[in-house]
Formats: sequence, structure tokens, C-alpha cells
Amino acid sequence: MKPIKLLAVLTALTLVFAACTSDGDSDSSTTEGEGGNGGTGDGGSVLEAVLDRGVVNCGTRDAFPGFAVLTEDGDHVGFDSDFCRVIAAAVFGDAEAVEHVDLETADRFTALQSGSIDVLVRNTTFTAARDGGEGATFLSVNYYDGQGMMVNTGDYSSIEEMQGAIVCVAQGTTTEGNAAAESARLGLDWEVRPFEDTDLLQEAFQSGQCDGWSSDTSQLTGFRSVYPDGPDALTILPEVFSKEPLAPAVADGDSQWAAVVNWAIMATIQAEEYGITQANVDQMRDSDDAAIVMFLTGATTDEEGNATTFDPGLGLPADFAYEVISQVGNYGEIFDRHLTPLGLERGVNALWTDGGLLYAMPYK
Amino acid sequence: MTTTPPQVARPPLYRNVNVLKWVFQLVVFFIVLAILFWLANNYLTRSQDLGIPTSFDFLDQPTSFDITGADFSPAEPVRNAYLVGIGNTIRISAVGIVFATALGILVGIGRLSRNWVVNKLSTVFVESLRNIPLLVIMTFCFLGIVLQLFPRIEEAWNLGGLVIVSNRGVSVTWFEGTTVAALLGFLFLGVAGWWLIARWRRGVFERTGAPTRAGLLGSSFLILVMVTGWFVLGATVTTPEVAGRAVAGGIRVDPSYFAVLVALVIYTASHIAEITRGSIQAVPKGQGEAGSALALSGSQRLWFVVLPQAMRIAIPPIGNQYLNLIKNSSLGAAFAYFDLTLVAQITVGNGKPAVPAFVLALVFYVVLSLITSTFVNLANRHFKLVER
Repeated sequence: MKPIKLLAVLTALTLVFAACTSDGDSDSSTTEGEGGNGGTGDGGSVLEAVLDRGVVNCGTRDAFPGFAVLTEDGDHVGFDSDFCRVIAAAVFGDAEAVEHVDLETADRFTALQSGSIDVLVRNTTFTAARDGGEGATFLSVNYYDGQGMMVNTGDYSSIEEMQGAIVCVAQGTTTEGNAAAESARLGLDWEVRPFEDTDLLQEAFQSGQCDGWSSDTSQLTGFRSVYPDGPDALTILPEVFSKEPLAPAVADGDSQWAAVVNWAIMATIQAEEYGITQANVDQMRDSDDAAIVMFLTGATTDEEGNATTFDPGLGLPADFAYEVISQVGNYGEIFDRHLTPLGLERGVNALWTDGGLLYAMPYK
Repeated sequence: MTTTPPQVARPPLYRNVNVLKWVFQLVVFFIVLAILFWLANNYLTRSQDLGIPTSFDFLDQPTSFDITGADFSPAEPVRNAYLVGIGNTIRISAVGIVFATALGILVGIGRLSRNWVVNKLSTVFVESLRNIPLLVIMTFCFLGIVLQLFPRIEEAWNLGGLVIVSNRGVSVTWFEGTTVAALLGFLFLGVAGWWLIARWRRGVFERTGAPTRAGLLGSSFLILVMVTGWFVLGATVTTPEVAGRAVAGGIRVDPSYFAVLVALVIYTASHIAEITRGSIQAVPKGQGEAGSALALSGSQRLWFVVLPQAMRIAIPPIGNQYLNLIKNSSLGAAFAYFDLTLVAQITVGNGKPAVPAFVLALVFYVVLSLITSTFVNLANRHFKLVER
């Protein structure tokens, strides 16, 4: 063909290939899940891939008050965001060695399955279907929640008054099914409208299209705290109609990585039980209580009384608990930092010694 | 004396164009097949490793979510949810196509009008809507019109006692006591009767020259049939009334359906308007001039001479817009309209495997598009110029 046409075709092809390779480069530097990750059928383990990469890819969200909010400075602030930092502090000794990957609700499990995130800490309910068919392994529950209903103050005082009401929920969550089940159980004939975007949901609710907004009570509290008309314009009804244990999740198939994440989470609960806080963790390192010292530093004595290091074989550094507590804090501190300002009380999320459900497995 | 034709040496295989054509096609075919096979294999092995099911068994499991506006319970299997979603997609596509075509052709003719107001209004309509992405238009229709403009249910607009408008939907006076199918049956009878009457009167006209009055007679017959049908079937009118926070009576148009439909119609109409305008201008000017030479008025020229020729040209691009409308209806999923895409998304969100769920939706959209384009091609073949 004529030289000018040939030149045009070659230029177009070069641009296309240049675009492809630059995409490939940026992918491999930020998400790299597809490359060295996988741990299942790829022959590599997730822990090794994470250590190679130097950051933990933590799936989260960007606009959920109290749990994960992307601030103007580009930081993720919240309860779930801090647990991402807990995992990073445990693996690397650096709480900021984490890449917060914002995900839509509908994509969170596919991101986990494909390996583009290493762990999902995104107020996700632990259910049988997700444990099985979604290819996810759930770890220690970090927040026991339940589904509730939020209405405009004064409209209703109980769910049972909401006959034939329009209830708005978020798509792709257990909420829809629970709302439908509750409606059927009480014979209330609700019209359940699912919205993809929480902003759209809030607009619909505010303009009066919805009688009620149903979601996990923790989510409702968060959204109520930032409601444009003020938190007193909304009331969360007292009925809780499902169990929603929120737990971090990893992809099926890598039990070593699952154990790493599990014990990092449990370290925060154990620390609160021992009374270790961010403020006193340095003194606690030299405590008289041998259990606390072993928990924080791994230093212990063997049968003959010689100093040795306790290594449970998890793949974590010996002082991972110290790094977690000193950089992020114990469970109570994380809770108080983000959830108490919203008005959420410990309730069932207290330690087992206080009558709650949080119970860390013994570190020995 | 016979002459033998000159012998032409056959080129060797590697230079024989016919052979090379086939070889090349086969090679490309196998490359494509290999890529598809590799993709499928990759997906299957990876899913197996992660323990994710890859079959279509999820269709028999309970959906565990509810679908608004349909007689559906969460205990029904997923395949029923898909059927409802398919029904909703077809419903909004069909209605959207009808309205968009009507509005689009009108606006397209309006752009060529000599009336300054009509001309400018049509131009503004087309030029603004063609240049805004459909999702933005839909968001505006939903947020701006339905949520903000339409009043809350407590202050719903009551239009003449026949229509109630609020941001929970539009309730219109409707009939009850019988089915749509039965009434459509009577309508069909009435229209068939009209057609027969028209034929009869045309025969009368040709024999005696008396005016046909086909329109008058035919329409009176249709009205007679419909009224008879109404009473025979025992249908009654239900008017909507606000009762508490809901509307009782009448038929309710879901607000999401309304917003999505309006957005689809005005967007597609703006494109169809441009196509119509272009095809009218493509009709040779001589045709219009011949029409005036025959003392046809402007609208008669348009209706009998120009438009038939213009529509012939316009059928394939308008068919294309129909396919676009069908695919664009999937955007309704973002606004709580239960079309097929939303059903697939929620199914996946509730723990069913993602790839089979979406492959099913994909196949359906392809089938629907192919059916539509087949009809469009049939229409095209029927109307196109047959040249000797």
C-alpha cells in the first residue's frame, strides 16, 4: 500500500501496543494479584507474594462512615481500615504497608477470587453460601452486627406497623434477602427496592420514595450520623431481624495466609483482654507476666530455664503483636476511635470476660 | 479442424490463490478456537481450585430476594427470577421502541419545518440530547424528575381525578375485572372489522362513486365492538386514590420504570430524529417538486411522496437504534428497575457463581437483539427498491 497509509497503520498499531504495555506495567505494580499471587494452582503462596510485594492489598470501601472513609488527604479512616493496618503491621511491622483497594459491593468477592486483593475487610457478613460457593474463607469475626430498619422519626415506632411499606436496601448484600424474609414472616408485604449506589439510596430515602431504609445496624448508625437533615431526623427501630457477623475474608485454598490474618485480628482482642493499650505496650513488654511477654515479644523460657523464642509456625515475626498494638491499638481502642463517636455501644462486641462474644484463642 | 485451448500452467500450491484463501481462513479459525478454548480452560481450572461451582445448577436454587412489582416470592428458583427479568427487559424495550420511533419521526420532521418555533425546539431537543451520555440523562430523569420534581406521597398531584403523580410512581385509571388479553382480543376483532368495512366500501366506491366513508364507518364499528366487549367481559374502571402512604386502585407505573423509560425514549428519539431528517433530505428534491406540480399540499407531499421514500432509507439505521435501546435498557439496573441485568447482578451478589449467571444474561441479550434485527431486515427487504 502507499507509504502514507502504511505509516498511518503502523502508528495506530504502535499506539495500541503502547497503551497495552503501560496498562500492564501499572497493573503489575499496584494490584499484581494475577502474577505472583493465587496460592492455589499457581504454586505460590499468598504470604510469599505479599512479602515480595511489600504491601498488603486490602479490599475496602470509600464512603462508609465509621468503617472506611476516604478522606480528602487520600487516607482511609475507619474501623475496617484500621484492621487492614493491623494485618500490615503484623506481616511487615509497618501499619502503613497496606494498599486500600476500594470495591463496589457487587465486585468484592470476584476481586478476592481473582487475587487482585489479598484480604477483604469490608463489613462482610460471614454466611454459608459465601464460605462455600463464593470461594471465600472467613476469619475471626471483628464485629457482631444485625440487620435493622431506619425510618424518619415519628413515622413508625415498630417494624410491625410497616404494612405494605417501601423499603430501600443496597444491592448485592444479604440485606435484600433478609428484608424479603422478614416481610414474609410478619406478613407485611414490603416492596423492596435495591439500589447500587448508597448515595442514590440516600437521595431516594430523603425525597420520600422509601418508607424505610434497611441495612446492618452499624451501617445505619454510620449513615444516620452524616444525614443531611441531621441524625435526629432518623430513628433506628429497635427490632433486629438477622445475625450479621462481620468478618475479614481471604480466598479459599491458602490456610497459611488465613492463619496469618486470623491471628493478627485476634491479637487485638487478646491485647484488650490482657489490658495492653497503645500507651502502655512498651512497659508491658517488660511485664512480670510471662504470658504477656511471650504474647508481645515471643520471648519465653524452655524447660531448662534457657531463654528461647516461641514460634508457633504461623509465618509471622515473633513480635507481631507488639507491632500491631503499638502502631494501631487494641480492639477496644480501635472501636472507641471510630465507632463510639457514632453512638455505637460495645454490646455483644465486648470481651467474653464482660459478657460479650469477643474471645481470642490462646497464644501458646 | 479443431483448435485446442492454450494450456495454462497451474501455479504451485503455495502460490495458488484459491488454496491460500482456504488455508488462511482455516488458520485464523483454529487460532480463534484455540484462544477461546484456552480462556474457558483457564476459567474452569481456576474455579475448580477455588471451589467455585461452574455449572448452571444455581438456576434451581431459591433466589432469596424479592422482585418488586411482580408476583414473586424469595423461595422461587433463580430461573423464575431470570424470567421476570427477561419479561421486564422486553417490556421496557418494546414500549420504548414504540414511543421513541413516534417521537423521533415527529421531531425529525419538525427540524425541517418552516415554522420557526417548531424548528428551533426540535433542534434544541436533538442537539442537546444527542450529546449527553445516556447514564447522565437517566440519572437526571430519576433524581431530578422522579425524586425531586414529583411530590412526596403526602402531597401527590391529582390530575383530574384520573392520574395521581408522586415520587413513588404514577397511578393511572385502569380497568379491572378482566384481563388485558381479553380486551386485546376484542380490539383485534374491531380492527379486523374496520379493515373488512374499508374493503367493502372501496368496492362500493369503485362501482358507484359514492364516498367510502371508511374511516367513519370503520371507527364506529371499532367503538361498538370495544363497548360491547367491555360490558360482556364485565370490566369496571378503577380510579387511583391516595390511601395513607400508598395509592389504592388504578395501575401503578413504577417510578424507576418511568424514569428509565423516559430517558431511553428521549435519548433514542433524538437519534431517530436525526436519522429521519437525514433520510428526508436524501430523497431527491425533484420528488417534492413533482408533488407540488400535482397540486399536493405540503403535508400531502410529505405524507404521500417524500416520507415513504425517506423511511425506506431510514429503516436500517433506525433498526440499529432499536438494538441500542435494547442494550441501553440494562442501565436501568442502577435505578432499581428489575431488568435482566439487575436480576443477574443481585443473583451474583447473593452468592451464585458470577460467570454462568452473566453468560446467561449475555446469551439472552444476543438472542433478543438477533430477533429484533431479523424483523428489521425483513421490513427492509419488504420496503427496499427492487431494481431490475
